[in-house]
Amino acid sequence: MSEEKTHVEDIDRALYDFRYEDKDAFKVEGGLSEEIVEQISREKNDPSWMRDFRLRSLEIYRRTPMPDWGPSIEGLNMDNIVTYVRPNTERMNTKWEDVPENIKNTFEKLGIPEAERKSLAGVGAQYDSELVYHNVREEVARRGVIYTDIESALHGEYADMIKEKFMKLVPPEDHKFAALHGAVWSGGSFVYVPSGVSVEIPLQSYFRLNAPGAGQFEHTLIIVDEGAYLHFIEGCSAPKYNVANLHAGCVELYVGKNATLRYSTIENWSKNMYNLNTKRATVAEGGKVEWVSGSFGSHVSYLYPMSILAGRKARAEFTGVTFAGAGQNLDTGCKIFHIAPETTSYVNTRSISKDGGISTFRSGVMIGHKAEDSKAAVSCQSLMVDDVSRSDTIPAMEVNTDKADIGHEAKIGRIPSDAVYYLMSRGISEDEARALIVSGFADNVSKELPLEYAVEMNNLIRLEMKGAIG
Amino acid sequence: MSEIINRPIVNTFGRFGANGVKVELPSDIKVSELIVEEGQSRIVTLEDVSYKLNATVKAGGTLELVQLHEDESLLINDVKVTCEKGATFKWYRAILGGSGEASSYDNCSVYLNGDDSSFEAYVGYRLGGKENYDGNVEAIHYGKNTESKITASGVLADDARKMLKSTIDFRTGCKGAVGEETEDVLLMNETVRNRSVPMILCGEEDVQGEHGATIGRLDENLVYYLESRGMEHEKVYEMMAEAKLNTVLRRIPDHELE
Amino acid sequence: MPEILLNASNLKVSVEDKSILKGLDITIGRGETHVIMGPNGAGKSTLAAALMGAPGYEVTEGSATLESKDLLEMNVSERARAGLFLSFQNPVEVPGISLESFLRTSLEQRTGEKVKLWDFRKKIRAVLETVGLDASYAERDLNVGFSGGEKKKAEILQLLLLKPKLAILDETDSGLDVDAVRTVSKGIEEFQNNEDASLLIITHNAAILDSLKVDKVHILIDGRIVKTGGPELISEVSEQGFVKFEGEE
Repeated sequence: MSEEKTHVEDIDRALYDFRYEDKDAFKVEGGLSEEIVEQISREKNDPSWMRDFRLRSLEIYRRTPMPDWGPSIEGLNMDNIVTYVRPNTERMNTKWEDVPENIKNTFEKLGIPEAERKSLAGVGAQYDSELVYHNVREEVARRGVIYTDIESALHGEYADMIKEKFMKLVPPEDHKFAALHGAVWSGGSFVYVPSGVSVEIPLQSYFRLNAPGAGQFEHTLIIVDEGAYLHFIEGCSAPKYNVANLHAGCVELYVGKNATLRYSTIENWSKNMYNLNTKRATVAEGGKVEWVSGSFGSHVSYLYPMSILAGRKARAEFTGVTFAGAGQNLDTGCKIFHIAPETTSYVNTRSISKDGGISTFRSGVMIGHKAEDSKAAVSCQSLMVDDVSRSDTIPAMEVNTDKADIGHEAKIGRIPSDAVYYLMSRGISEDEARALIVSGFADNVSKELPLEYAVEMNNLIRLEMKGAIG
Repeated sequence: MSEIINRPIVNTFGRFGANGVKVELPSDIKVSELIVEEGQSRIVTLEDVSYKLNATVKAGGTLELVQLHEDESLLINDVKVTCEKGATFKWYRAILGGSGEASSYDNCSVYLNGDDSSFEAYVGYRLGGKENYDGNVEAIHYGKNTESKITASGVLADDARKMLKSTIDFRTGCKGAVGEETEDVLLMNETVRNRSVPMILCGEEDVQGEHGATIGRLDENLVYYLESRGMEHEKVYEMMAEAKLNTVLRRIPDHELE
Repeated sequence: MPEILLNASNLKVSVEDKSILKGLDITIGRGETHVIMGPNGAGKSTLAAALMGAPGYEVTEGSATLESKDLLEMNVSERARAGLFLSFQNPVEVPGISLESFLRTSLEQRTGEKVKLWDFRKKIRAVLETVGLDASYAERDLNVGFSGGEKKKAEILQLLLLKPKLAILDETDSGLDVDAVRTVSKGIEEFQNNEDASLLIITHNAAILDSLKVDKVHILIDGRIVKTGGPELISEVSEQGFVKFEGEE
């Protein structure tokens, strides 16, 4: 049992900032062209439809303009992004002992062995655009649950299932970075949970950026069949660099009839990352998607997980917290589209801005013409820690039927001084009091996370808050 | 000459149509400048006219602007008010449509520059037929201890469409500012379309901002209660629609048309 | 022999698929005052809600008629216009509508005739006094910001103005202080003064019944009426509680 992260002193930003020299890794040169995309396709041994798909996406990427709203991404120059780096290792290790030392060290430091000991069902870890370590617990595999890297699944018995669903929920036409993703996507997880199977242990994925200027384009495709249950945890971290880093991943979630999928994320990318991730779920009749999301890192983020409530009585819940510190511009939120009757959605977000950070909450709830007897409730709260930061709340609601009920509320304010005073009167220092209040403020998310994540999140907050005064 | 109007201070997702509307400005739009002197109080009433108003309310002064729209004309309204220290601006906006097809566009931007200045807006509307309303209300807090309160209450029937953007913008330095937005929309027909974008922008720590919006049909228990007193379902909705409008209309001060 | 006003037979009512009333029979004659007593959860409020037609209450079996007309076939507002009134335990707030204009509209709906403004004003003022509410309440938004006691008084006010044939008072005395109980009691007495008026009073505490004329008392336990008797049952319950009636059929 290694580090127990219970003391603030133990958490050092540098823990996440280590990196290794990459000597033998294969790199794709420069910016984007057909040759590069074809090279990637060959390297990955894509089926021909995938190669065509990549090329078509490249074309869409070229003709789609950059988004003209939201935080500036001028600092991103695609020509400098080396999109694909594969470390020097065999594919798909099933045993931890077989993973190359230097790569193992990276994950050791990130706590993966510890997590394994704690009965996580399996860990798929991506190191520089490639799945390195992968281990599916036998019990889970025996129940018919498929948890594998998506690239090899393209050739196996699930190939057709993937072909049918790949980038249908988030098509390349959606926006420029979806198109980019379609062209150069690499690595990621494929999960299939068969009907009626309830996966008790959360499945987890990890990925990491290491080479200077490397982009991350992993694709996660999860299908939860009728009546099944899955909790999937996505957590990630990246070290600091001078050159801009880009994350343009894509997550597509298919929640079947009466099934439930909980998708938890702690995003803790380093402060020079451009996090332009697209996550989308479609929910069938009686199904439910629960998003639990903590956004802490990145230089710039565009992140709006979207839920499409496509079947009667489908439900979506979104619980999120965003913490924007110095140099960060985090534009996050969610979108919910009600297009079937008796659907319900509930959004609960908190955001914190500090030291010049900019946090923007942007949401869109749409109740369609056919969504009779639907209900939607959105609640967002923002905490301002000083007067050099920004917090903007930009919610949008559209209702196209009279037979629905929609409620919305938002609040913004500062850390209540009477609460600080009270804690101080019990002997707690002002710094610690403020940190406590802020981590309490984020409890909407921390109470939905498994314990070790909640602890990590609270420690992240404490780290950010330390030295807030003076 | 067409231009993009009602562009809010910040944009949101394009799909919601909240980022401004392109319209042809009517040639007969009236343009006016108004200054309310220090300590003075004025009530100005405008009815059924397209207006472009630039007003300044000097220290301690009060300006109340009553704007009514009852006929079936296209209306484009652009009001900009600057409030100095201790000044107050109140805006009463009623759109009493019913069965027409006209569109109306409102922009009301209030700059609370002076400390202790305040802004209250009461927007009430009843739209039916194929009517369309796009409103943009902004309270921009610069001064300390400034206050804003935006209240909008309305009813949509038939094929009416409505978009209301309201923004409370706390600029750095507006210490002690308080802003509140409340919106309440009663939808009466399955082909209406309501859009609401209540925004709070904040660059200052020492503020309090709040907004709440309720959209949809009447609460089931409320309907039951009123029905148990003998009121038919339609009558209940009729009565409540009027009540919603009343919460705003009853605030309109006595006035003379100018 | 008084005419029969309300006749409920083998009434079975469920709420969210849970059976609450398990076959209830009750007959109320014109001009009679009946009291239903029973422990919490027995189904007293469910009876009131089912008779009024509240959303969420499903009558799974049985019948109920008002003056021989099928009550269960009517929608809520029809039942009200047929002469039924329910005083709510916790009436909803209705912003934007004044107490006065609400009552006037209700009266108009009931009688089908327009109500003369001045006549009505006078009437309302008189009744406000009877229930102990200040004249200014007429102008206030219905129930908005009213205390619990004031809400109950406003309900009694409506009772007196609308003059229903059968008034169901559901726990009207709960949460009231001694003075309020007295005023509410006075209001109910006034209602009783009309010979034709029938009352069904639901309560689990006898305080409000002291000064009222009561014709029949029913004990409701676990979804069924286990005993019917005269006013003497009230003191029996006050002294001995409901335990002795459980197990009776």
